[in-house]
Amino acid sequence: MNDNNQNIYLPYLATVADVIDETPDVRTLKLVFQDEHLRENFSFRAGQFAEYSAFGSGESTFCIASSPTWQGYIECCFRSVGRVTESLRRLEIGDTMGVRGPYGNSFPIEQFFGKNLLFVTGGIALPPLRTLIWNCLDWRDKFGDITIVYGARTEADLVYKRELKQWEDRSDVKLVKTVDPGGNGPDWDGKIGFVPTVLDELALSADNCIALVCGPPIMIKFTLPVLEKLGFSDENIYTTLENRMKCGLGKCGRCNVGNIYVCKDGPVFTAKQVKAMPLEY
Amino acid sequence: MQKQITEANLRLLIDSLILKRQRVIGPRQSGSMVLYEPLSSASDLVLTEQPRRSVKEAFFPVCEDLLEYSKQGQQVELADIEPDRFPETVIFGVRPCDAAAVPVLDSVFSWDYKDHFYLKRREKTTIIGLACNTADDSCFCTAVGLSPDNPKGTDLMLTPLTGGGCLAESHSEKGEAFLITWKDRFSELDGTKPLPLAQPAATPFDLKKIKNWLDNHFEDPVWDSIAVRCVGCGACAFVCPACHCFDIIDEGSEKAGKRRKFWDACGFSKFTNHASGHNPRNLQPKRYRNRIMHKFKYYDDKFGQTLCTGCGRCIRICPVGIDIAGVLEEIEQQDDSVK
Repeated sequence: MNDNNQNIYLPYLATVADVIDETPDVRTLKLVFQDEHLRENFSFRAGQFAEYSAFGSGESTFCIASSPTWQGYIECCFRSVGRVTESLRRLEIGDTMGVRGPYGNSFPIEQFFGKNLLFVTGGIALPPLRTLIWNCLDWRDKFGDITIVYGARTEADLVYKRELKQWEDRSDVKLVKTVDPGGNGPDWDGKIGFVPTVLDELALSADNCIALVCGPPIMIKFTLPVLEKLGFSDENIYTTLENRMKCGLGKCGRCNVGNIYVCKDGPVFTAKQVKAMPLEY
Repeated sequence: MQKQITEANLRLLIDSLILKRQRVIGPRQSGSMVLYEPLSSASDLVLTEQPRRSVKEAFFPVCEDLLEYSKQGQQVELADIEPDRFPETVIFGVRPCDAAAVPVLDSVFSWDYKDHFYLKRREKTTIIGLACNTADDSCFCTAVGLSPDNPKGTDLMLTPLTGGGCLAESHSEKGEAFLITWKDRFSELDGTKPLPLAQPAATPFDLKKIKNWLDNHFEDPVWDSIAVRCVGCGACAFVCPACHCFDIIDEGSEKAGKRRKFWDACGFSKFTNHASGHNPRNLQPKRYRNRIMHKFKYYDDKFGQTLCTGCGRCIRICPVGIDIAGVLEEIEQQDDSVK
């Protein structure tokens, strides 16, 4: 909410503090707000998104991919596919860009306290869960077992490779990484197979467990029946929807799925909520 | 508060406002069409036809600046747009179907986050409505719960009287203040009867029944048959007094330029296109369905009103002859039992 005298379309200015290539076309930007007060006080919750500006090209919508427990900066991660993302990709360390947000709802992390967590994700859909994964790891003693199932078409398409290594090395996280058949190199030490199949083989107990799923529509489509088979109820499965947005403020009229506005009512929904929606996402 | 005003006094009043450097908007000839635009004198007013576009652009322009950016090396400087630049404005001759859409837009731009560009303009504007004495075949305000003299959205409503002049009735504090400020131009009622109001031919829709059907028929073969002709030109949304979808676009070079808000339309094929290439509304019937759903279900679900005032502009302008009133009639005739 804002008062009547504020321009809701005016972004904060941020400096690109670091640039990390996750894959040949996926890039992470580490962003530091130029306003000192904001730098210390910008707060958000895991699952919220922002509008990122490359001035002269426009704005793009992505989740905030860093953990809310990290102070002083935020990160976004995007695939370069269009005019704005191409311009964001051309930004160098020290360059200025814009951020509006945080917007939307978030994962109800407090409701997950004391529970086991199962993260299921694929490809470029890791960033929207990575914020929550790190949030949970930073509050590790509040949760039971943490399992992450992450797949991509090929080894090269896995994002946050350095963090996958960190998670693998930790004894308090179980990472199961997989690539599609044919996507593995000679040194691949993970599984080979599609995410739903690998998840099925894990045969994890749904008891006291929350599933957090984010991936391409085809992965979600085949993952939900597996979770159901494992005994997960639709109320205990969370996902984030990623409809096209412009304003992020519930006004511009394009992110709706039926009468649900993803920018205001979402982007985080339970599988129960998603199943009640018309197929418009 | 009710008063009366002669036609001569109304013109004098408009000219006095203009002389006082007050911005006055009204229907006037603009190129080949009549539009709501600033008047340079009362003689500019054209009250014989409905303006081609609605009055919404007085608050929500086709294109407006949101910010200016300029780059110096790695630094960017942003200049905010000063909302106080919006001048005090009086709009005359606003048709009831246009005025009724203004409170509908108010809800969109003021719920949760406040769009102060829209709201400042609203705050500084007085809307003076004019009841209709004629209607054409496309008018259907009476079918969606409004009427040719419905004051919804007006501050002051003028109703033409037999023998010239108008009845003036205030419907807000702004309207009442206007009558008091300009009391010398108005007189007490003398009992003159109003001219017969327009009588649009359309019969009232059962909007509840229509919504009930929409609630349960997101998937239905009717959508294909209704929208197969739609070419996705978006003209219906652009002339609509209640449509409010917009896009945000940067215009300029990498060095300097402006960020702007532009009207957009859910009928355009790229409107919901994802970065991945996936498009949830990949076919025209899906896009047309969103138009009808938004107007008669989604907006109602959220704000308890209908996003259509029966102005008929979309019917007049559609290049392939899609008639929204006909569409509603067809929906009304569907079996509304839940499938």
